[in-house]
Amino acid sequence: MERLGTTILKSLWKPSINIVRTRYHADKTRLVRRYGYEEKLWCGGLLPRVPGKQLPIPEYRPANAWTERKALYGQNDYIDILGPGNLHPVKTLYTVPSWIRGVSGHEYHILLRKKKMFAKTGSPVVRPTKWKELQKRLGFLYRKLNRKTKTGPSPD
Amino acid sequence: MTSVLINAFKRLNLSIRPQVKVISSSYSTAVTTANSLNVTQKEWKYPPLYTKPREVWIENLDTVEEKKLGLFELHPSVYAAMPRIDIIHRNFVWQTKYRWVSWAHTKTRAEVRGGGRKPWPQKGLGRARHGSIRSPLWRGGGVAHGPRSGKTHFFMLPFHLRIHGLTSMLSAKLAQDDLHVVNNLELPTDESNYLADLIENRNWGPSVLIIDDTDIAPRNITVATDSLPHVNIMPVYGLNVYSMLKHDTLVLTLAAAERIEERILHHLNAITTEQQREFKLSQV
Repeated sequence: MERLGTTILKSLWKPSINIVRTRYHADKTRLVRRYGYEEKLWCGGLLPRVPGKQLPIPEYRPANAWTERKALYGQNDYIDILGPGNLHPVKTLYTVPSWIRGVSGHEYHILLRKKKMFAKTGSPVVRPTKWKELQKRLGFLYRKLNRKTKTGPSPD
Repeated sequence: MTSVLINAFKRLNLSIRPQVKVISSSYSTAVTTANSLNVTQKEWKYPPLYTKPREVWIENLDTVEEKKLGLFELHPSVYAAMPRIDIIHRNFVWQTKYRWVSWAHTKTRAEVRGGGRKPWPQKGLGRARHGSIRSPLWRGGGVAHGPRSGKTHFFMLPFHLRIHGLTSMLSAKLAQDDLHVVNNLELPTDESNYLADLIENRNWGPSVLIIDDTDIAPRNITVATDSLPHVNIMPVYGLNVYSMLKHDTLVLTLAAAERIEERILHHLNAITTEQQREFKLSQV
């Protein structure tokens, strides 16, 4: 019944339909594939002279050559010559820890001296891991130097 | 009458100095009255044998403009030695190296935490054989043959090379007109501008090293140099080759110049077998 009504209405009332275009083809942008993805690689040609894109150069910040430490570097190194003569310049190396002041040698010799000087302090008790590693390294170097390498110049 | 004669004799003595020397324990001074110029002749403990003493002007610090207060003699063995650039360089290298301790450190596979367990069985998995996750092959593992902390570069330059370095450097400074002798370090003001103007006016290089005989410099100059990082004061015993190279101009007080001369001449003429011995750790 209802269907019959609509067909009658359609046959009687025919409104004119005008198509209105709101979006024209010329206004359409190109389809952007993978929108939001940033290309990390440079695809613009040869480097480095690309206009508008400079290579990152860190800003030049020269160090101050006249800080107190640098300005007075080397002071008292000739104190045995120019001073009263009872002081050796090695004694004035206050910036170097005393156990390594004026020491020269292989790692093994320096560690032996360190162990000898640190054994009397509280270091073995206060820093047991460091102390253990020191002993372990000494043992390793002892075996390496005495059993696995030859002393003196090589025969060939 | 006699004083005129003595003065004339002393002037004569000045011109033919190396041959005739007035023997006296103190300084013999000849004063010319025209411009009141004070010429100081010195009697050294070890007088120069074959070379003439070098003369420098005594300058002042109490005015910006330079005033020549007199002439001062410097011993040629100290201030006119052969400036050996190679010896200066060896001294420079020694000064940088003998205090240099490299604290760069890496942990070995034994020191890195963990890594005791075998990560996977030796056979049957198709994977490479490994015994520890702290092996040097692994990321986060120990470093093989890396730097170990406390590497020293210590050595002592021979005693006479160090003396020769000092004399070479002083001689080079004097020869290049970079060594100035002043009567004292008294400034009229503690403004650093005054000292900067003075340095600018006298064409002393941008950086100046001032050497005094005493540990304690006058207050005005210490305050003035406090805000000038490139103007530094040192006592005589602090003088060294590195600082003389770093600073353009060397300014000595009269007392400092004499003290340096006295110390170096002493070592040049003394028996130095003790100082020439090989360095031993037990001696310091």
